[in-house]
Amino acid sequence: MNDPHGDAGAATFAVARDGACDDAALLRRIGQGDEDAMAAFYREHGRVVLGQVLLVTGERVLAEEILQDTMLAVWRGAGSFRGESSVRSWVISIARRQTRDRLRGQRLRLVDEAFLADQPSPGPGPEVTALDRAELAQVRGAIRELAPAHREVLGLAFGSGLSLPEVAGVLGIPVGTVKSRLTAARGALSRKLNEKGQSR
Amino acid sequence: MNADTAGTRSSHLELEELIARANGQAADDRTREHLASCEQCRLEVSRWTLVADGVRGLADEAPEAAPPRRPSATGRRAWLAAAAAAVVLLGGVGYAVSRLTGHPPEAVLTSVSGCSGVRLASGTLERVNGRSLVIKTGGGQSVTVITKGSTKETVAGPLPGDITDGAPVIVLGPRSGGTVRAVSATVGLPPVGTGKGSLKQTPPPGWVSVRGTVADASSAGFSVMTPDGSRVRVVTSSSTFVVVPRASLSQLRAGVTTVAVGYAGGHRMLSALGVVQEPPGSIQVHINIAARGCSQASLASAIATALVSRG
Repeated sequence: MNDPHGDAGAATFAVARDGACDDAALLRRIGQGDEDAMAAFYREHGRVVLGQVLLVTGERVLAEEILQDTMLAVWRGAGSFRGESSVRSWVISIARRQTRDRLRGQRLRLVDEAFLADQPSPGPGPEVTALDRAELAQVRGAIRELAPAHREVLGLAFGSGLSLPEVAGVLGIPVGTVKSRLTAARGALSRKLNEKGQSR
Repeated sequence: MNADTAGTRSSHLELEELIARANGQAADDRTREHLASCEQCRLEVSRWTLVADGVRGLADEAPEAAPPRRPSATGRRAWLAAAAAAVVLLGGVGYAVSRLTGHPPEAVLTSVSGCSGVRLASGTLERVNGRSLVIKTGGGQSVTVITKGSTKETVAGPLPGDITDGAPVIVLGPRSGGTVRAVSATVGLPPVGTGKGSLKQTPPPGWVSVRGTVADASSAGFSVMTPDGSRVRVVTSSSTFVVVPRASLSQLRAGVTTVAVGYAGGHRMLSALGVVQEPPGSIQVHINIAARGCSQASLASAIATALVSRG
């Protein structure tokens, strides 16, 4: 960009212009108080974070508040990012903590460890046939009715662009537990489809 | 892959591999070979893909993030106010920035009728650099197109190389005996479903629409493994029109007419909502791009016009 003004707006796109957006560099600039870098960060990650939080909470206003609190935490804590994880998984971890804090004491529990004792993976069973017959719209509806922890792990694996090890890092559990949780989530989804009589 | 009980040969795909396929990541040769021969794993990929599409569908339904709140009296969210001054979050960012920079609208970026703030760039794809593209316009000017995870890339045309084993496919064409002559093939959409992201095709008389998974892909055609376990032979030709509605950046081809829509991001830059590569003059434009306050018909019309003008 040959911007003779050299203004802040131009700087917003300087990172992306070099190819893949260098999130770590963006965070360094945020740590130095660069508001344009913060705006670019918001643009890069905001929607994914919002989608994940909304998937877990199911409440739009609450999700947007959590997104803003998350971005505020990024603004304040960018300097503490040590590069031990991807920026995406780092910001989602922050959003998860913010979500947990906001939901603490509410009826909706983000992590019910007893429930998640990660019911042994059932593996493919008769219920998977419900998935074979289900329509996409039905699956979406059934996902909405899953336990928050199941929605969360599905969102991390399929909606956030994270690898399974990154999902494990966000959730603070071993990769093997992520796998069994995913399988349990899919089993619950299939049972939900069966319960609703949506298999034909 | 999992080893069988004897540990001497691979058995089924690991969950990571199934999820990678459901997430649209490229499979290595070994995985493709396995999928071509293992119905159980194809079904598992299909099931996980449906789950993944369900999750992503919900994410797509997520509202745009609301404009940041004004700072409180304590200035707790002071940066949010600054950000609000610089951008309209998540979608309007580029447009707002271009206004702040004082640049007049770039001639290389044209408006899209009925879509406030949305801009379009068309030309020939020069190169792909990471997540950004460079399109050279008819006037010889370069436009840098920035893509992100949510940008929708669509490619269409005579692209037999994009039909690969293991991919979900919908084939449309006349059937003769046990063979279908593919007039069109849509690759990569979920094998089941009628919601967003799926495709309904009503074949003309004498034609059939076959859904399933690609196997035995070659330059002459491929087989479709249908959900009921049958195998339908499909022949392709140079006139087979292949549509990849959820293409990856790696499937975009340099030197091909390319249209991008999104928001202006400064001097000759576009923050892309979607990128389309179709042959110039395409009658039917295949897009799955959405923009706030803008109908898909408006976007499709603008893209079709751009493609016609390039033809």
